[in-house]
Amino acid sequence: MLKKLIWNDVRQNKLLSTTTVFFMAVSAMMLALTALLFSSLLGSVNGLMEQAQTPDLVQMHTGALDEQEIAQFAGERQEISQWQICRFLNLDNSEITLGGHSLLDSTQDNGLCIQSERFDYLLDMDNNRPGVLSGQVYVPICYRTRYDLNIGDTMRVGSETFTVAGFLRDAQMNSMMASSKRFLVSEWDYERLKPCGEEEYLIEFLLKDGADTNTVSAAYTRQRLPADGPAITKPLIRMMNALSDGTTIFVIFLAAVVMLLVSLLCIRFILSIRMERDKREVGMLKALGIGRGEIKRLYFSKYILFSVCGGLLGLGASAILQGSLEQQIRELYGASDTGAQAAVLALCAVAAAEVLILLSVWHSLKKTDWLSALSALFPVREQKQNRRRYLLIGSVAAACTFLMLLPQNLYSTLSSPTFVTYMGIGNADIRMDIRQGADISLTTARLAAALEQDGQVERYAVLQTGSLPAVLSDGTTCNLIVEMGDHTIFPVRYSEGTPPVLDNEIALSSLNAKELGLSVGDTLQLRINGAETRCSVCGIYSDITNGGKTAKISSSANNSSVIWSVLYISLKDRSASARWMEAYSQMGADVTDIENYVRDTYGPTLVQLGLASRGATLIAVLVAFVVTMLFLRLIVERNRDAISLQKALGFTSRDIGRAYCLKGFLSAAAGVISGLALGSLLGESLCGLVLKSLGADSFRFIIRWEILLVGIPAIILGTTILAVLMGTAEVQSVKAYECCTGRE
Amino acid sequence: MKKLLRIEGMTKGQILHQITFDMEPGEMVAVMGPSGSGKSTLLYNVAGMDQPTSGQVWLGDEEITKLSEDDKARLRLHRMGFVFQQMNMMGNLNLIDNILLPATQANRGRGRKSKEELNLRARRLMEKLGITGLEKRKVNQVSGGQLQRACICRSMINGPEILFADEPTGALNKSAATEVMGELVKLNREGTSILMVTHDSRIASSCDRIIYLLDGQISAELTLGKSVSGVEKRREEKVARWLMEMGW
Ligand SMILES: Nc1ncnc2c1ncn2[C@@H]1O[C@H](COP(=O)(O)OP(=O)(O)O)[C@@H](O)[C@H]1O
Ligand SMILES: [Mg+2]
Repeated sequence: MLKKLIWNDVRQNKLLSTTTVFFMAVSAMMLALTALLFSSLLGSVNGLMEQAQTPDLVQMHTGALDEQEIAQFAGERQEISQWQICRFLNLDNSEITLGGHSLLDSTQDNGLCIQSERFDYLLDMDNNRPGVLSGQVYVPICYRTRYDLNIGDTMRVGSETFTVAGFLRDAQMNSMMASSKRFLVSEWDYERLKPCGEEEYLIEFLLKDGADTNTVSAAYTRQRLPADGPAITKPLIRMMNALSDGTTIFVIFLAAVVMLLVSLLCIRFILSIRMERDKREVGMLKALGIGRGEIKRLYFSKYILFSVCGGLLGLGASAILQGSLEQQIRELYGASDTGAQAAVLALCAVAAAEVLILLSVWHSLKKTDWLSALSALFPVREQKQNRRRYLLIGSVAAACTFLMLLPQNLYSTLSSPTFVTYMGIGNADIRMDIRQGADISLTTARLAAALEQDGQVERYAVLQTGSLPAVLSDGTTCNLIVEMGDHTIFPVRYSEGTPPVLDNEIALSSLNAKELGLSVGDTLQLRINGAETRCSVCGIYSDITNGGKTAKISSSANNSSVIWSVLYISLKDRSASARWMEAYSQMGADVTDIENYVRDTYGPTLVQLGLASRGATLIAVLVAFVVTMLFLRLIVERNRDAISLQKALGFTSRDIGRAYCLKGFLSAAAGVISGLALGSLLGESLCGLVLKSLGADSFRFIIRWEILLVGIPAIILGTTILAVLMGTAEVQSVKAYECCTGRE
Repeated sequence: MKKLLRIEGMTKGQILHQITFDMEPGEMVAVMGPSGSGKSTLLYNVAGMDQPTSGQVWLGDEEITKLSEDDKARLRLHRMGFVFQQMNMMGNLNLIDNILLPATQANRGRGRKSKEELNLRARRLMEKLGITGLEKRKVNQVSGGQLQRACICRSMINGPEILFADEPTGALNKSAATEVMGELVKLNREGTSILMVTHDSRIASSCDRIIYLLDGQISAELTLGKSVSGVEKRREEKVARWLMEMGW
């Protein structure tokens, strides 16, 4: 009997039932997708890092190196289980050609290396350690699609030719955010090509389980061991690996949350419509002596059926979509063996979504006073319901706007030229790095002199980096990587304070400030050019370069302490930059177009984010359309009598429809406005939280106002107008005489 | 004299067949017949709320059956009034706003009247029908008789040429029905033509003419002429006899 009642009801209310199941399925699908992708990304990244045996700590170093010193350090520290020094032959990008494409415009440091001995292995596409014959090369996987490479293509380094024998997964440098890319060659070729490039060292440590990377890193720095280059830790590597795909998953997750909220709203609402519609039957059931609890159970079992259907549909859909979305993850990091775990996680996510929906339905059922529903004065209630329906249209418009806005804001922020200031790079057009050569300072001075004479240069700044010994107020000593020069010409983003101007001022990157426990106004002792100087912290800035741990002072360095120097330049005429850069790269500097650099670094993330943004737009448009149309239809349906009466009295369909359209449209417009506000404020703090962990402080969206104020409102409002028009088209079909006959 | 309403060969599906009759200005005509004979359908089709399958309907010089939906709506708004059996009113408006609803809708564009003027007109009508003081009441706060009188006010607010009424007293008790009927007769005396469906022979006997509908066709007509006071009893008996002949 119960089965029959449920089944008949589902059949009679096809639209409402389908809509309910649809919402349940979509929320389930998106949450399941988030879970599946998240666990597969983490699984793949972790799997690769495990197989490659990624080091816990990597210190890069250019210049002379005493292996004995490091061996002694490793022997003394008990946390260190293994160590090794990997050689990396940094090549000049202009010398490299990959399958016909020159790497001249690449902003990565491309170089050769041989397979490591003890850990940090470079793996092939089956996650095995490939054997390389002489004349063969294994190319980083991220270049495969970028340069459209196949096995058998050639790679040229100067006059030498290699055959691409396969592709490499480099657990440490896979991400475009890692600044170097390693090509694997045979030892014989490596030695032969040595004169073509500059050799650098990766000093790598594998720690015992449970050892703290930071203490080892601090000890290393304290002992003044070779550290002319950035240091990287395993968590940072993991983060860089996960970030570009993680961003997409983050957007999918957000969309899932918004979808779940919309579903909760709509399902509860559909329930209240059903109960309105069933008032008479419920009364009859009660008259027959069926209790209130029994009726509630009748309704609830219907929703359990719906949620099982919706959950299964959602799981199925997510399994279908998973494959295509996972492709990039699988290519970069290999398949994960977490299939079962992912499935369980997805199942949990779906179950959580459905349970949440069912709880809200139960709450709704419990709250409703059936008695009052029976004796309700129909017209008064109806008006209140109308208002709630318009409110719902508004909330859904707000949610959809939010959903579109957030990825869009993220995208415009990451693609904006000013975003580099969050990365710790000044907002200039061009950057020149001088990291190699006998005398860095001399080269720097020569370039600076040339720039001074150059008529095309608008402004430029010379920043020289040294590793300076510092003494904190509690007596501990350490080496700080300090950038010296005028920091006011191309300032980075300061979350607190100002750039250093006076000789005794120092600015710290936010990660450094946190680690050293210093804030604006505190002091530390620094040996600058041989003289002990008491410096006060004048500002804290955002920096994610060099592992995010840097400092800035205004006094210029003397020659001996400089590890590398960077020149920032802005040109009067940006369009002529290519030829200009060409000229300067002859003078011993590594010249980079900053826009190119950002595009290279964030390119994959941006492509993903662009996709996610488009996907979010599609979902938002679909949801806004379906919900708005559905609810206007319901409003018209519920007001059928009133509409018919108005028609009998001589109102035209257009007059009546216009009133409904206007109300529907105004609710949507109000929703869009609140969605914009919500997306800008809440979204900002949400993303800020994520970026803060990377070292980018005081995050602000860089907003493209024309999209925010025109594009998104136009899309959502356009969709709602269409939906409103279609939803109110039903007004036409209402007959004037319906009100006279007393329908049904 | 020019006809007010002309219906020629009107057919509506299987419900009405070849209906032909007309009405003079100022006439009050009753439509009677067994339940399901098509009385209501006749009213809806004449008033342009529904479209006949064939045949023509004229209101004065205007051929209603030729007009678009919107034009028919305008015609109803400005030239026709309706009183229904169910006493349909908008639940979210009070009594006077309900009465004013067609007036505000009609009162648009050039030469619009002030709100006070419309209000005054509504109050006058309410006074005439004896429901003064109920202006701010909700629809569910008045009795059936009062509500039907408010409906009559609403139907009269735009000064229609003809009033259609579908069993206007059907849902009322006897004394309320008599009162409401009295109001309708009074309106007719003041010049409004009325076409009314009724089940009550006593009420029908105060009309000028009775049309008897059977199975969607006009089977008989009885012309009584304007009623004069003092002869009500005789008219009622005459109507009752006539109805008996029809098998009422
Ligand atoms: N919408 C409709 N569709 C089909 N038949 C209808 C419809 N409305 C009424 N009818 C039929 O038309 C006939 C006349 O109905 P109606 O005009 O309401 O009769 P009356 O008002 O005389 O009681 C009835 O037999 C009824 O069943
Ligand atoms: Mg009827």
